Amino acid sequence: MRRSRKPFLWLVASAVLLAGCAGVQTKHGGGGNQQVEGGSVSFALPPAATPNWIMPIETPGYTASYNAAIQQILYVPLYAYNGSSGAVGMDQTASAALPPVYSADGRTITITLKPLTWSNGQPLTSRDVELWYDLVRANKSDWGAYTSGLIPDDITAFHTVDAHTFTLTLDKAYNEQWFTANQLTEITPLPQQAWDRTAADAPIGDADRTPAGAKQVFNYLVAQASDLGSYSANPLWKVVDGPFTLASFTSSGQVTLAKNTKYTGKDAAHLDKVTFLTFTGAAAEYNVLRAGGVDYGYVPTSNLGQQSKLEAAGYRISPWNGWSITYVPYNFRNPAMGKVFAQLYVRQAIQHAVDQPSISSVIWRGTAKPDYGPVPQENDKTFLSPSQRTNPYPFDLTASRQLLAAHGWKAGSDGVLACVSPGTGPSDCGEGIAAGTRFVMTILTEGGSDETDDTMQELKSELSKVGIDLQVSTQTLDTVLSDSSGCTASGGACDWQLSYFGTQGSWYFPADPTGEDLFATGASVNFGQYTNKQADALITASNLGNAPQTMLDYSALLAKDLPVIWLPNPPYQVSAIDTALHGVVQDPLAGLQPQRWYWTR
Amino acid sequence: MTRYIIRRLVLAIVVVLLVTVVTFILLHLLPGGPARGVLGVKATPQQIADFNHKEGFDRSWPVQYWDYLVRLVHGDLGTSYSMNASVGTLLGQRLPRTLLLSATSTLLAIIVALPLGVWQAVRKGKPVDKISTGLSFVFYATPVFFLSLLLIIVFSQALPWFPAQAAQGETLGALISQPASLVLPIVAGAGGVLAAFSRYMRSSTLDNLAEDYVRTARAKGTRERVIIWRHVWPNSLTSIVALFGYYVPTIFAGALVVETMFNFPGIGLLFWSAALNADFPVLLGVVLVIAIATVVGSLVADLAQLLIDPRVRVPARRAGATA
Repeated sequence: MRRSRKPFLWLVASAVLLAGCAGVQTKHGGGGNQQVEGGSVSFALPPAATPNWIMPIETPGYTASYNAAIQQILYVPLYAYNGSSGAVGMDQTASAALPPVYSADGRTITITLKPLTWSNGQPLTSRDVELWYDLVRANKSDWGAYTSGLIPDDITAFHTVDAHTFTLTLDKAYNEQWFTANQLTEITPLPQQAWDRTAADAPIGDADRTPAGAKQVFNYLVAQASDLGSYSANPLWKVVDGPFTLASFTSSGQVTLAKNTKYTGKDAAHLDKVTFLTFTGAAAEYNVLRAGGVDYGYVPTSNLGQQSKLEAAGYRISPWNGWSITYVPYNFRNPAMGKVFAQLYVRQAIQHAVDQPSISSVIWRGTAKPDYGPVPQENDKTFLSPSQRTNPYPFDLTASRQLLAAHGWKAGSDGVLACVSPGTGPSDCGEGIAAGTRFVMTILTEGGSDETDDTMQELKSELSKVGIDLQVSTQTLDTVLSDSSGCTASGGACDWQLSYFGTQGSWYFPADPTGEDLFATGASVNFGQYTNKQADALITASNLGNAPQTMLDYSALLAKDLPVIWLPNPPYQVSAIDTALHGVVQDPLAGLQPQRWYWTR
Repeated sequence: MTRYIIRRLVLAIVVVLLVTVVTFILLHLLPGGPARGVLGVKATPQQIADFNHKEGFDRSWPVQYWDYLVRLVHGDLGTSYSMNASVGTLLGQRLPRTLLLSATSTLLAIIVALPLGVWQAVRKGKPVDKISTGLSFVFYATPVFFLSLLLIIVFSQALPWFPAQAAQGETLGALISQPASLVLPIVAGAGGVLAAFSRYMRSSTLDNLAEDYVRTARAKGTRERVIIWRHVWPNSLTSIVALFGYYVPTIFAGALVVETMFNFPGIGLLFWSAALNADFPVLLGVVLVIAIATVVGSLVADLAQLLIDPRVRVPARRAGATA
């Protein structure tokens, strides 16, 4: 009996139809010298990164770099900085104002705005900057970027000179370069004629000019920004002065920006559209990249072995180095090991046992760069001292062993060092270290990354060779940060000894890599409570004085004093960019300038 | 029957409540708490204290749990710490996606697996049975992530027939409008379920083929096709229906992997990212949904078994009469 082939044919026809629906996969590569106006670009956001805040004043918890990058495309910051040229400096084309003019006493800044226009036709004025100042000043504890004593605390008065000029009065004179780069960059003019209201049905007015009114306006705007699903339709977010305007913002964080046809500045977009794609993880992004579904994506380090395949598919592979450092803080207040860590010779011995070149080249496949001090080792070398540049403590297990042996540490039967010479003499273990103290320390580290796991095992292996037992405790990043930050001068949870949260870099700097947040006594991110009067003086001087030598001295001091264990600094990402897409620069400050991207043929 | 259903519903509510209690306790046993992770490394002690006060972490666990229950009764599942949306909104957006994926995968698996299981049983020991049994074991033993990766490499990268990621639309309509993008995720999700159900069905059919009623039917001269499809098929289904109810959590677990591999933001992925961020309200919301789905799944399975199998109905009636 002949069987019917209809079901089989039906299945084949369905598959062909579905495959047809998939359309032709995007081809990449090619291009030439001829610039093409228009077109669209799909850009892959970092793994699991979902933009979730649009207002250029972020509340705590919404300060992610991708949020800021998208905001800066829509709302032109007063001053933008960019490090893609090799030197971190002001990006005047992307700034809303001409360079600031400081008074002779350094306490008054005069700023003149460029002739920009909001997309609703209103000009950008001093009043738009005043709105930002009023809102932040009245709601500073609800502003995610706030640090006590810094902006807005350091600005005591805002004075409007005319529609396009205003002055800021400072509480004292500061390092002008630092103030412009790290303080004025926080300011973003807001569309006062569209946003200055206390409720959706309230009229536009000057409510922000009183503290109570500013709180109401802020609460109204935050409430609007807290409704992610409404972003696409909310008229508030349609008023922009940047080169792009918001086309759509989905609840899962996929953002599409369209060229702002009413943009009046000198940084107009070439592309018609840019779509920021969200991915559940690096593997999902890589699968889509391999299938050609992304114009500008990234390659997980573990997949770098397939670089040639991606290049053959029309991508160029380019590491994107961040303006960052990576380190493991010591907890100087830990009851068991704090006194041990307080000894400089101990920190030197540990640093000598860190094989940064091997970690960089083997574990990170050459994408991470060795890091020897408190300012970024790569990109702009302006702040890099000769000491930090040359690494005062290279990988040297013999030197490490000698340092410990010379200070009264001797290996026990299990090979782990113990203090056999307590005391404060030059050949003793040091103050507060009791006889018999074993050199066993625990590192609290974030999980989820093969590179981090391998780095921890490498550290454990090398340290064991000098008699130090490193125990690794893997937790979620959230737990690592929570547990590492609770230890204060007045007590608190000080159980942790070492902590690592640097899979994507421990700390990203603003334009000036000063240390007021990291290594100053009592600083908010000085988790281990490191304190050094000389470092404090240099940090203060770097904030207040204009002498370039200060930062070099600071770099040299902390490269030698080792407030933390310096580790290789991973890249922000290893990018895969369509070779036909030009104008792309990878800003170490993690900013994006898609208005400068263009296709070629 | 009605009393039985009411009793099962009450039991279901108790089970769901117990699940929320256990989840609530486990979440609060996590070291650290969510504030630092949510607010970032620069958060001041005051901001952390404000967060903990706002979220009620400065109150006792029983008080926090009671507050949670009160909000739950009013339909308020809370607000995500990290996603700038209410939990209700997030579940409303993600659940239909997962249901679309899971329901389609499961339906596909059942449509293929049940007849396949019967076919294998009828041809027990023959080459087709051995080959399909071998393939079933291969699919059953293949992790979902590996099957997904294989499908992507073959059908998206080597043969660019289907997209490597699922449709990214906001609505079900938008997802369905790109059917090609759903093919690989659905096939990946169906693989393991298909293999498992075909094995169960084969086994169940073989058991029934050995029963006296089949021998009697054959002795009476009933055609083999009638014996299989009118007598053996419904009897074999009873154990499969019961099994299906308990398979709901497995389907959700598989959805997490499929969603991750195909960049499909559904409920599984929501749970995963919430777990990484210690986003307690979202975690509780998702656990609640999965608990309800599991309890309802087993309830529906039991009721379906009542309808299909008279042997189960009779004790139910007796129990009702004596209660």
